[in-house]
Amino acid sequence: MSIQNQAVNELVAGVKDTSDKVRTEAWLSAGKAGAAAVKPLAKVMTDGDLEVARAAKRALWKIVHYTGRPGVNEEKRAIETELAGLLGNDQLVSVRRGVLWMLSEIAGRNSVKPIAELLRNAELREDACMALERIPAKGAAAALKAGFEAAPEDFKPNIAQSLRKRGQEVKGYPSQKLAPSKETNLKPL
Amino acid sequence: MRQSNQLNRREFLVATGAVAVGAPYFIPSAVRGANERITTAHIGVGGMGGYHLGDMIERREKGQVNIAAVCDIDETRLAGALKKAGPGVQPYRDYRYILQRKDIDAVVIATPDHWHGVQTVHAAECGKHVYVEKPACCTIEEGKAMVAAATKNKVSVQVGSQGRSEPEAYLAHRYLVNGNIGRISRVDCFHYPSPEDNNPVPDSDPPPELDWDLWLGPLRWRPYNKRYCHGTFRWLLESGGGQIRDRGAHVMSCAMWWMGADGTGPVAIEATGTHPTKGLWDSAVLMDVTYTFKNPDWVLTWRQMPNEQLPSAEERTGDEPGGKIVRPGYGAIYRGDKGEFIHWGGDGGTWAEKKARLWEPPAGAKDVYKSPGHKEDWFKGIRTGAKTIMNIEAAVGVANLCILGNLSFILGRKLQWDQAKQTIVGDEQAQRMMSRPQRYPYHL
Repeated sequence: MSIQNQAVNELVAGVKDTSDKVRTEAWLSAGKAGAAAVKPLAKVMTDGDLEVARAAKRALWKIVHYTGRPGVNEEKRAIETELAGLLGNDQLVSVRRGVLWMLSEIAGRNSVKPIAELLRNAELREDACMALERIPAKGAAAALKAGFEAAPEDFKPNIAQSLRKRGQEVKGYPSQKLAPSKETNLKPL
Repeated sequence: MRQSNQLNRREFLVATGAVAVGAPYFIPSAVRGANERITTAHIGVGGMGGYHLGDMIERREKGQVNIAAVCDIDETRLAGALKKAGPGVQPYRDYRYILQRKDIDAVVIATPDHWHGVQTVHAAECGKHVYVEKPACCTIEEGKAMVAAATKNKVSVQVGSQGRSEPEAYLAHRYLVNGNIGRISRVDCFHYPSPEDNNPVPDSDPPPELDWDLWLGPLRWRPYNKRYCHGTFRWLLESGGGQIRDRGAHVMSCAMWWMGADGTGPVAIEATGTHPTKGLWDSAVLMDVTYTFKNPDWVLTWRQMPNEQLPSAEERTGDEPGGKIVRPGYGAIYRGDKGEFIHWGGDGGTWAEKKARLWEPPAGAKDVYKSPGHKEDWFKGIRTGAKTIMNIEAAVGVANLCILGNLSFILGRKLQWDQAKQTIVGDEQAQRMMSRPQRYPYHL
């Protein structure tokens, strides 16, 4: 077993420990674990033990925050690649939703395509749209434009807003942000 | 309130003394007569929102305001507020119905923090004056939008860091600006720790009285968990930000004001802290943040420390302007080259050390603005266009301190800040985190 694999195994074992303290120490140490730890930790995110699953998610976030530091683009791209690999149908919606937000902080153009594909997924399209809104790559804006053209009517306003946020012109679909839509059952006294 | 009186704006400002203290912050679109009632609506009526509603009911009895509407996304809370406010008050679940009403002059926003920015911007865009609870905002982007919306629409905004309006805050401010402890090079804020979630529970369906979609509003969607709300939203970085964004928006508000630092910002921010060991809440339990200011050079620190390390509180009789110190667990120590000064609290209770309270200003001493009361100061802003004591620019500056402290804590690294450009420097990930995509249609 390589030293790297051993470190990942130790990290995962710590994250799965029954002790709150040990789990916390493990996820706090995850930052430097690197790309090799991403998929094993994602697997633990679906653990039946609520606290174990939470510790795994926090460990992944720790990796994302550590790798987002300035001057380590190669390391960041490696993490991004591993995360983007978790957006497929083989992963639970909860995992993919979390990964979309992780990618929103560090992703570049390489992740745009797999994220954009989720604009067609009813459960994940809102998060995918917001992730693309945040990723500064020009390709993300282009993906939103393409997604807008293909979107069903009920989702076009969401993508239109994300495009406007990025400074893009959009015809029609003005924001309904000031339009009330939810009524109370209560009446005045 | 919508009808104007017979004075023109200039005559009115002179009559009210607004011109004597300098040009108004803005000229209100309609001159408000000093005796006209302001018509308010209350968005968020639990917790502090319940306090504000009660306060405004008292003011209604005094003829200062009308209360037109109450709004909450929790029907149980809404029913309670409606009963409290009485006949003639319209209940709403969706605050945007309130913004459509032309008869409402002003709104009091006391929703969870993640709603403050969006609702303030929307209210300003609809021409409503705003009292919004602290912290002003959760992201740098929200703060910029709030300042822009208030300025463009010429509305008066008061942010609920009411410590600035407390009687002993005035005494402390006056004491410090007159050089009683010399040149101040360091302000150390202290606070007890944020709580850990000792009773985590799995996600579940929201209770029937709660509109979970509207509670989340701009936040990304996630399943309901009863540890999110109501008051516990504070202990999540995303929605409440922990003690630093809750009480930091009070204690650091006093520091920025008394240091004459409103409108300035740090050049560097570095935070460390400890994390909860279980549960949903993720804000720092213990925390150390150092803010470095330049030109003039001084250091501001925020420290959440174990209870046994907190400074002991001054003994009092209760006859002091602020009465007895009932919340000794937070405050700040000001360190000058001629001495030190301490205060406790910084919010609705602000208690200054005895030497500041007893100090008699000599002839020629500098005086400072004495707030007539936080709401009165807001009413003055509505009527005259005068800048409020916790105006939106100042409040965003303080909220930015809290936000940047948390960002440094989350990322585990030091951040550089460009105050003039209002941006983090040299860290692309941190720059992306200055804003947060918001769910449609609950966006700025």
